[in-house]
Amino acid sequence: MAEIEWPWQYSFPPFFTLQPHSDTRAKQLAAWKSLILEYYRITKQAIVDIREVHSSPLFNNSAINRILFRQDNGKLSSEAILLILEELAKSGNASPLDKTKQRWLIYWHTLEEW
Amino acid sequence: MRRKAGVGAIQKQKLEQEKYRDKGTEIQENQFEQMTKQMETFRVNLEEFASKYKNEIKKNARFRRQFTEMCASIGVDPLASGKGFWSVLGIGDFYYELAVQIVEVCMATNYKNGGLISLDELRTRLIQARGRRKEHQEITNEDLLAAAKKLRIFGNGFSIVPIGRGKHLVQSVPGELSMDHTAVLQQASLSGNAYISKSTLCKELKWEPGRTQKALDHMVKEGLAWLDEQGENETLYWFPSLFTACIVSKE
Repeated sequence: MAEIEWPWQYSFPPFFTLQPHSDTRAKQLAAWKSLILEYYRITKQAIVDIREVHSSPLFNNSAINRILFRQDNGKLSSEAILLILEELAKSGNASPLDKTKQRWLIYWHTLEEW
Repeated sequence: MRRKAGVGAIQKQKLEQEKYRDKGTEIQENQFEQMTKQMETFRVNLEEFASKYKNEIKKNARFRRQFTEMCASIGVDPLASGKGFWSVLGIGDFYYELAVQIVEVCMATNYKNGGLISLDELRTRLIQARGRRKEHQEITNEDLLAAAKKLRIFGNGFSIVPIGRGKHLVQSVPGELSMDHTAVLQQASLSGNAYISKSTLCKELKWEPGRTQKALDHMVKEGLAWLDEQGENETLYWFPSLFTACIVSKE
């Protein structure tokens, strides 16, 4: 498996907290989008299952002890991931596989590009 | 009883005054002429000096500093204008070119640091962007400060924020940074980390919690700080402009 070169944001702790300021949040989501696409392209995966993402190093950086948008109970917030996936869907890089939006298909390239 | 000054006396006085004035202008003109002559020789000397050492000034950072220090001590600003005869040395061009490059680097990085960049990062990026030849590489932090200070002429877009221990941040967006905000940045920088917490700030600066919160909220609003809710006990405020991985990243 090819090694992914993590962007600087991945080791930046607040990257894992949803930012309240709208401009900063836009930058944050954009960075997450490109990181997810890059990660799935390099690891050659295509399916995100929201129930399993907490075990993925992508959303859980154990080196700095931060999990994507962790909530007070220590659990991963599925809303946060949904937020990013919806963003990806907007640009045509993702689509839900079932009605409950638990499993998502990730397109490294949009369908038009393919 | 003293008599009032008569018409004759007044006329005499006037005449004397006129004489004084004539003499005055004469002396002034003399001085002026001498000055012009002196300036002329000075210019010739300088041109000689320039043709001899022009390259040295462009390439040697120490030489450049000594030269600008000398100018400062006699009260001349070699950067004030591109038409000043100091510019025959090309020292102006050197700094104007540098200033343009500083603007470019700041524009290119402000999407991630909110328009605040440390002088060290600025220097690293500039050196990357300039050519590989050795004379392009010798830029000191003093050169950057001199060039950045000149950028202030264009209005309040650029300012330099000293953050202690001889370190500086260059701010390239016209947001307001009050004394309080500068103090916050100083504390974050002095702590050696890229973050600061409210309680640390209250303790170090002996501020009221309200004042601290207000300063921190402002930094977040300006996009200079990011919130981290997963710290040990309390919210941490991180500054990308101080965060090492952000500083060295190639993007």
